[in-house]
Amino acid sequence: MDQLFAVQHAYLIPLLPLIGAMVAGLFGARHLKQESHWPIWIGVGASALLALSLLYGMTFGSASATPPDDASSSNGPLLQPIASAIEAYPLARSVEWFTWIQAGDPNNQGSPTHPQVVYGNPTASLHVSAGCFIDPLTAIMLCVITCIGFLITVYAKGYMSGESGYFRFFAYLGLFIFAMTILVMGDNLIMLYLGWEGVGLCSYLLIGYYTEKPAAREAAKKAFLVNRIGDFGFGLGIMLSFLAFGTVSYFGQGVGTHTGLLELAIGNTAATGFQKLAMHWIPFLLMIGAFGKSAQFPLYVWLPDAMEGPTPVSALIHAATMVTAGVYMIARCGTLFVTNSAAMTTIAVIGCFTALLAATIALRQFDLKKVFAYSTISQLGFMFTAVGCLAPVAGVFHLVTHAFFKALLFLSSGVVMHAMAGELDMRRMSGLKKVLPITNIVILIGCLALAGFPLSSGFFSKDEIVAAAFARSPILGALLLFAAFMTAYYTFRLYFQVFQGPLVVPPAPAPAHGHGHEPHDHATASHSAVETDTAPSSAVDIGQTTHAPAHGDDDHHHSHEPWVMMWPLIILALGAAFGGFFNVHDALGNFLGQSPSFDLAWKLTTVPGANFGHAEAAAEASGGISWIMILSGAISVVGIALAYMLHLRDRAAAERIAAGLEPLTGLVENKFYVDELYQTMIVEPLRLLGRVLYVIDRTVVDGLVAVISRVPQVLGFFLSQTTERGYLQGYAASMLLGVAVILILIFMR
Amino acid sequence: MTPLTLEHFLAVGAIMFSIGLIGFMTRRNLIVMFLCTELMFQGVAINLIAFGHYHGNLAGQAFVIFLLVIAASEASLALGLVILLFRQRNTLDADAWRDLKG
Repeated sequence: MDQLFAVQHAYLIPLLPLIGAMVAGLFGARHLKQESHWPIWIGVGASALLALSLLYGMTFGSASATPPDDASSSNGPLLQPIASAIEAYPLARSVEWFTWIQAGDPNNQGSPTHPQVVYGNPTASLHVSAGCFIDPLTAIMLCVITCIGFLITVYAKGYMSGESGYFRFFAYLGLFIFAMTILVMGDNLIMLYLGWEGVGLCSYLLIGYYTEKPAAREAAKKAFLVNRIGDFGFGLGIMLSFLAFGTVSYFGQGVGTHTGLLELAIGNTAATGFQKLAMHWIPFLLMIGAFGKSAQFPLYVWLPDAMEGPTPVSALIHAATMVTAGVYMIARCGTLFVTNSAAMTTIAVIGCFTALLAATIALRQFDLKKVFAYSTISQLGFMFTAVGCLAPVAGVFHLVTHAFFKALLFLSSGVVMHAMAGELDMRRMSGLKKVLPITNIVILIGCLALAGFPLSSGFFSKDEIVAAAFARSPILGALLLFAAFMTAYYTFRLYFQVFQGPLVVPPAPAPAHGHGHEPHDHATASHSAVETDTAPSSAVDIGQTTHAPAHGDDDHHHSHEPWVMMWPLIILALGAAFGGFFNVHDALGNFLGQSPSFDLAWKLTTVPGANFGHAEAAAEASGGISWIMILSGAISVVGIALAYMLHLRDRAAAERIAAGLEPLTGLVENKFYVDELYQTMIVEPLRLLGRVLYVIDRTVVDGLVAVISRVPQVLGFFLSQTTERGYLQGYAASMLLGVAVILILIFMR
Repeated sequence: MTPLTLEHFLAVGAIMFSIGLIGFMTRRNLIVMFLCTELMFQGVAINLIAFGHYHGNLAGQAFVIFLLVIAASEASLALGLVILLFRQRNTLDADAWRDLKG
């Protein structure tokens, strides 16, 4: 695999989107204008091809080939394969691009007894390389990020056309892909942190893309600040890792050399007391970062608000890629986590709780994107439960399938939003399958996958998580099944409400919902709720050409379903439908199991049901069609059937039931008042503290400065009144006095 | 009779400087004050010559020649200024110009 172009030139994967972003950002405003998507398409598309070739080369290439003897000579200092490591992990490579940070004396390895402990050892040095670590986990993540990223940039061309700041959007998007690829490629925690903060920045910029909307600005700030809380813990975790192990690199000089963090964490026999203490706390600190970035329970509040951003952003950043960074990080740092059962239990419990909480809130949301946002939080909860139950393979599998079907669902809701002139309230629309026939089909596929309908992609991955949870604790498994039931219900509540039944479209564009677009003139004209008969005609001719002559308006779409937006949806729908078969015969699991992160963590764990992609363990965990599979499939069908009864056959029924459960309904509709609780418990006290500190600053601190500044003023006033009175002899006397004082000082010394 | 030593010359210089200083501090007449500054000047000049002679070189005397030239030009300038001041206020009292204080 050393011969792979994508391995030798792995730096191109983050670099190309960055170059694209720079071109779009620098030349977009003046020169590219509405063509600003090209540099991003090319950059991200090339990255996606590289990532796919990497994955292809890893799966079908001569992986087990003997390590090339001339590797060092042919590849120069770029690749540093260690022969023994290549034998153990033929698919894992460290590539160091250059030294990024070098602090202290590199030759000083600290105290001889515990060379790696930095704590209390001021001579220790820090070395951070800018390099990448390529293994199956990285390859899978890269494919998900760049491929879905590419599809979404294609879609965004249609979705965002005509927006002011079109180039800005694409520049941010390219920057995001750059940061995200750095996040998953980096070979040390500092690189991870760089990407982590980079995606946070891009998320902030893109949520607040509609700068003229106050809600978007508020949401951007909220996302940034809530993430700060998590990142603070994450930063502390990295620092503690360095203090305890003297390195932030995953595998140091290479797998098997025991110079990297993840391998040093294993050798616990010679651990010092401080290292043991650190091993206890590092997972908790890193976990806080993961909870912030991946929107888990205490820190999830930013994600629903983040839906203020453009829909492609919601699909890419807040569903498919960025929010899964926490899952990736825990899977990558497996050896730091698995031996700490308290931390793993915390992750599993928080994940399960978040899955339940968010699913419950999604039951009574009426905004399409809000439903999907809570659904994303809920599904991330599933992934966290998986990694917490020592089944990171299931977690990553669900990450991949979720990326496909949730991106699909968000992009489809973007199509709905486009066609409905920005309207997203599902109570105001119905029967859209007549207007949006293709979207109807793809969103149905996405909903089936999200609901875990048998044989869809979400079914397989969710089933593995549920199985892992049952192996750990039946209560956890049962709760997850309940969350899956709610998922099936709320997904199809949305689908039946919006796409089935009689055709109802919003009568007029709601200005408040406008997402920066000019109102779609012909869209609103042809669907003013009465002329339902014109809808099929516009549905039949989808291509832009048939409508183009009628409206000589280049900035607008001439169909509700322009092809540039439909192609990505169709490809994503294929992924959502068949993505589950990636893991037939545990193919994905076996592939991931060759990652050192998974393999080493697996060797550390003795818990039954752990799924790190090892054939014997996986067979024990799933064993073909199990009763869990049947149960979760049945639960999904029941959920869909319930949604059918309440939201298609008798639409008033749901409201009657909701009214019957009034206090509970209100609680759920108001999202359990978590935002209000945070507002009163945290934000307001902090604001009060800020005001108090402001007053203290203004009176005490500034007062002190004012008093001090008065001293020379007063002194000078008295001096001028006593010495500068205009008598020539007075000046002479003070000169004389000064000279005398200096002379005395000189001679008395 | 003891020969003249360096100390004698220094004493003369110091006495001249002191007389000039005391005169400057006590008199109000601008011309007298100016004369007193000249007196202090010459006290310093005597010191320079004395040291130059004591060290056996001509640097002190050379300096003093420069010093006298500058003192002469400065004296003409200063006396001109004093005349101008006198014309403004019709008095030579330095205190007449107290309102120039900064």
